[in-house]
Amino acid sequence: MFDEMTLKKDAEDREKWKKAFDRLYPEGFQSETTSGLPVKSVYSPSDIQDNDPAGNPLPGLYPYTRGIYPAQYQHQPWMNQQVLGYGQAEDTRKRMDLLVKGGMKGYFGHHVFNLVLDLVSQAGLDPDDPEARGRVGQVGVHISCLTDLEILFEGLPLDKVNTVFIVGEPSICLLAMYIVYGESRGVSKQALRGNSMNYLLRGFNWDVAMFPPKNALKVSVELIRYCTEFMPHWNTTNLSGYIIREAGASAVGELAFTLAKGMNLIEACIESGLNPDAFLPRFGFQLGFHNDIFEDVAKFRALRRMWATINHDRYGCRNPKSLQARIHTHTCGSSLTAQQPLNNVVRAALQTFGAVLAGTNALQTSAYDEAYSIPTEEAARLALRTQQIVLHESGATNVSDPLAGSYYLEWLTNEVEKAAYAVLDEIEAQGGFIKAYESGWLRNQIAEEALKWRQRVDSGEAVVVGLNRYADQEEKTEVPLFRVDENIERRAVERITVYRQDRDQERCRGALKRLEETARGVEQGRQGEFLMEALTEAYRERATLGETMTVLKDVFGYGYVY
Amino acid sequence: MLLTKSRMDAHDRGLRYVAKLLSLAGMEVILTRYRLPEEIVTVAVQEAVDVIGVSCSTGGHLYVAETIQESLRREEAEGAKVIFGGIIPDQDIPRMKNLGVIAVFGPGSSVEEILELISR
Repeated sequence: MFDEMTLKKDAEDREKWKKAFDRLYPEGFQSETTSGLPVKSVYSPSDIQDNDPAGNPLPGLYPYTRGIYPAQYQHQPWMNQQVLGYGQAEDTRKRMDLLVKGGMKGYFGHHVFNLVLDLVSQAGLDPDDPEARGRVGQVGVHISCLTDLEILFEGLPLDKVNTVFIVGEPSICLLAMYIVYGESRGVSKQALRGNSMNYLLRGFNWDVAMFPPKNALKVSVELIRYCTEFMPHWNTTNLSGYIIREAGASAVGELAFTLAKGMNLIEACIESGLNPDAFLPRFGFQLGFHNDIFEDVAKFRALRRMWATINHDRYGCRNPKSLQARIHTHTCGSSLTAQQPLNNVVRAALQTFGAVLAGTNALQTSAYDEAYSIPTEEAARLALRTQQIVLHESGATNVSDPLAGSYYLEWLTNEVEKAAYAVLDEIEAQGGFIKAYESGWLRNQIAEEALKWRQRVDSGEAVVVGLNRYADQEEKTEVPLFRVDENIERRAVERITVYRQDRDQERCRGALKRLEETARGVEQGRQGEFLMEALTEAYRERATLGETMTVLKDVFGYGYVY
Repeated sequence: MLLTKSRMDAHDRGLRYVAKLLSLAGMEVILTRYRLPEEIVTVAVQEAVDVIGVSCSTGGHLYVAETIQESLRREEAEGAKVIFGGIIPDQDIPRMKNLGVIAVFGPGSSVEEILELISR
């Protein structure tokens, strides 16, 4: 990559430099990234001499290491995709309006609403289920019937709104409900824009009840199959590395396991008869951004290069959109502390800046009070301001992939990529993603990393400012606490009770019966009716989330993987 | 010791860490998930545990604490000590204590603190 003269000079410089450096560190000096990749104290041309320039062309050129578009933030800033949601729809709508007023924007000035649902909805339960006690609307918005959607989106132009429903198993249900809601607003499903998480294979991160892996794949494929045919603007799947990172994986683990998950889903879709060039353009990623900025920037670049290469070489994709990794960043909540909470403003700012340097396409900046509760209005607004300051004041958006060419960053990008491919090989050697998942191997990898990290914090080797160093016991910052109104549960139960009364019971029962039949067909591998169509029919007859999910749980199973 | 969490409450990194370190310290640890809080004491009684540790990051902690207290009374197993961990607002801690919870270990708590309490 460099000419003879440059390399010769570099070698000479290194000798002189090493003599001076070794006087300070006669035993040598080495540090590590958070993934444990050994890192020297300085990098120079010889470290990237063997780099293939074809791996790093200008942005918008395969394999897109430097960015997926030729013009990046110069053309369009990242989406302010702030996660929001609590209480009932009307409560969340207030927060939506507040953040829009504060300048929260999607692409081309469209609205973007990244809605996180409460755990009751995420478990596919109606608010009057005994398991729902105490949790309705607590850490997300409760959505279990069309009324909730009507209140959330009233008066908003649905064809100019980008809506995300952060929900797992019920991904297909929320989308079906949204389609039916859209119909009532005169907006066809072809015009709807947004994202389904469709992340049904996350049981290796944490022990949450879900569909068993093989059936989870079938349900995921059903959503993709339907949207590929009928919903050209809907992003069907979000390959979430963030949740893997938050469970304790390193940056390398996050990258590798996300790609393994993606490849598994791609193969399941191909097996079901879908053409990857038809469905891949609507896949996206969610990655975490932690405090080691350089490692995570390298991770993003490695991801883009790997996604393009794997889809091109392994799956034969030629549609550029199949090869371009669109990435949403969620700054790492796990890096934030309850102690000295204002420190979190700094962490979130660092991570936001890093994500912009990495070329993220959408961004969620965590609020400083995340360790206490869901954000207060002030904290939510400050998180948005953090993004706006980076956008307008830092100059980081003038130049695409501004860190490129840095000896360290280019070297690190290659190292992270190499390490991730090695993990992918390990998974392949076990017989693939599902085997590695069901055997507990993936889970153990993550648990080991999580334990290692915590032990380094406990020993003080990893410094967390305010927690294990500079932890002034006297310094107790009072943080305004956001409380979700306890009456929300009662009101949600009233709403669903009225909703269930206000429908043709026989038609609803009939639709639920047809949903069951269709679901059984999917479970048995029969191609034919779309599960999505049976679901939309059920919601047209005013079935609730709980009623439809009960059917799906019965048919596909619901419980722990381990 | 029973360590438990609701089956819909995802983030269990802290709970797994506590479970691992307590068992390394020589305690017999049973790690479970529950669907309804009533199950907690049923398992605790079955396994004859001395300590019940509940991890809760997603609200409902007062209801769970209350349910445990009632269940312990009903099962005449009030000897079991109850501790909580997770994301629980400071303001709720007095109410938790009134419901029989001995201590609440929030983010950043160490296993030493937990061990020290249990040994007392």
